[in-house]
Amino acid sequence: MDTVIETNNLTKRYGDVTAVDGLSLRVAKGEIYAFLGLNGAGKTTTIRLLLGMVKPTSGEARVLGMKIRVWERKPWDSVGYLVETADAYPELTVRENLEAMRRLRPGTEPQAVDRAIERLGLTEYADRRAGTLSHGNAQRLGLAKALLHNPALLILDEPALGLDPAGIVEIRNLLTELVREQGVTVFMSSHILGEVSRLAQRIGIIHHGRLLQELDVDELERNRQRRLLVRARDCEAAHAVLIGAGFSAEIASDGAVIVKDRVAIERPDDVATRLVNAGHAPTMLNVEEEDLEHYFLRLVGMEEGGAK
Amino acid sequence: MSNLAQAIWVEFLKARRSKMPLFTALGFAMVPLGGGFFMIVLKDPEMARRVGLISTKAQLTMGSADWQTYLRFLTMAVGAGGIILFGLIASWVFGREYSDRTVKDLLALPTARSAIVLSKCVVIAVWSAALSVLTCLITLGVGAALGLPSESPQVFWQSGITITVAVCLTIALVTPIAFAASAWHGYLPPIGVMMLAMGLAQLVNAAGWGEYFPWSVPALYVQGEHLGMVSYVIVILTSIAGLAGTLLWWERADQTH
Repeated sequence: MDTVIETNNLTKRYGDVTAVDGLSLRVAKGEIYAFLGLNGAGKTTTIRLLLGMVKPTSGEARVLGMKIRVWERKPWDSVGYLVETADAYPELTVRENLEAMRRLRPGTEPQAVDRAIERLGLTEYADRRAGTLSHGNAQRLGLAKALLHNPALLILDEPALGLDPAGIVEIRNLLTELVREQGVTVFMSSHILGEVSRLAQRIGIIHHGRLLQELDVDELERNRQRRLLVRARDCEAAHAVLIGAGFSAEIASDGAVIVKDRVAIERPDDVATRLVNAGHAPTMLNVEEEDLEHYFLRLVGMEEGGAK
Repeated sequence: MSNLAQAIWVEFLKARRSKMPLFTALGFAMVPLGGGFFMIVLKDPEMARRVGLISTKAQLTMGSADWQTYLRFLTMAVGAGGIILFGLIASWVFGREYSDRTVKDLLALPTARSAIVLSKCVVIAVWSAALSVLTCLITLGVGAALGLPSESPQVFWQSGITITVAVCLTIALVTPIAFAASAWHGYLPPIGVMMLAMGLAQLVNAAGWGEYFPWSVPALYVQGEHLGMVSYVIVILTSIAGLAGTLLWWERADQTH
């Protein structure tokens, strides 16, 4: 496995505040790694550390095999990035902003500007001043700047921020295509959990500057809590039937019967058969899967009202 | 220097597209236009009073309506006031990256951060020099239009040299303002630093130590004060310190904006 990003015990303190605390992670070539955390969890500081914008208090970061250190050669010709909000020179047009960025990235061909404009759907706005763009289009311009030079690694801080649902799908498809067809590696931070679960292959969960968990999407699927939700005309009677059958059923506050036994979740038809045979046919039978949001909140200890 | 030429191109593009060149040109144009106004008044004070250009109480001590007086007014204004306008340019060129939050896009590029800083300094110097040339041209145009009595070329050369040296000294002194804009992230702190420097210059001048205070030196120079080499060395060292500080800040300081 080629490692594109590697951090070892990376720590950043600002006075008494520890923004990033002993972070060790690996991002493999060609994967989309999502860095998940609440506001202030340390996502942006980590990205700034990876980009050499802030110096670590201790530990080290390597990007594309190079240690990120002041005065040393860095891999920025192969890295595209978007940090925090997508900002641009307001008095320059979209095209001029990209042209300025192209010139600061030597070796990027002039056609790259038009290509990026087209790829991000900015053709209509190419000659419009950046200061007049909507938030979503400004975000597209930020992404266009990051993609301009066909980088091997994209480091994106909240790439879907400000985009409408169609824009989010578009960017998701674009990133997936870049990874699939060009072998680009994407390291992205996000708090849009649904987006992360659809896009990323690997997820790192950061809380209070510490990496709580690093897992593949498959592992996430396995770790998510699932439960069978049953409703009948007489839920209490249905509950009694299921208890009698050996299930550890319980009644929720809304009256539904919750069954968490694996055998019930995997074979809900057997549960239905038992209830029908007992004369309490189910009016609803639903296998609910904990979504990423609840999984995340459960992990960071901020779950509200029990698992969904 | 890694990609300096392209970085300069980009800085000129940003400057060209903004309204700042126009505003600073208008600001500097006030100097020869203001001088021209005084020339009109000095040419015929009674007429000026009659038509209401000046109050009847106005005391005219500036001199007579000739090229020597007009050019002296210009050199004094550039020597004393140049730092305000050049400082504003430096505040904008560096401070706007923080106000527009675009600085982060300049920090992880194949173009070295030092090249970005130097390109900004080049733009500030060229911009300031261009404004000075423009001001001189307007002065010549206004003077000719007013029909000031002809003067020997020596007077023009001498004024030209004085303005050139004063402009160079003043441009050299904007690097600490660039540092202030970088270290305190925006336009306003460097303007504050500039005002502080101007205020201190007045104070130090009054105390008789002006030749040792860098921001007093251009004004003393255009006043024809005899300055020793130490004054010029102090200006150069201040400039180097400001540039080195700015370069070090961009390279080494934590960039959290």
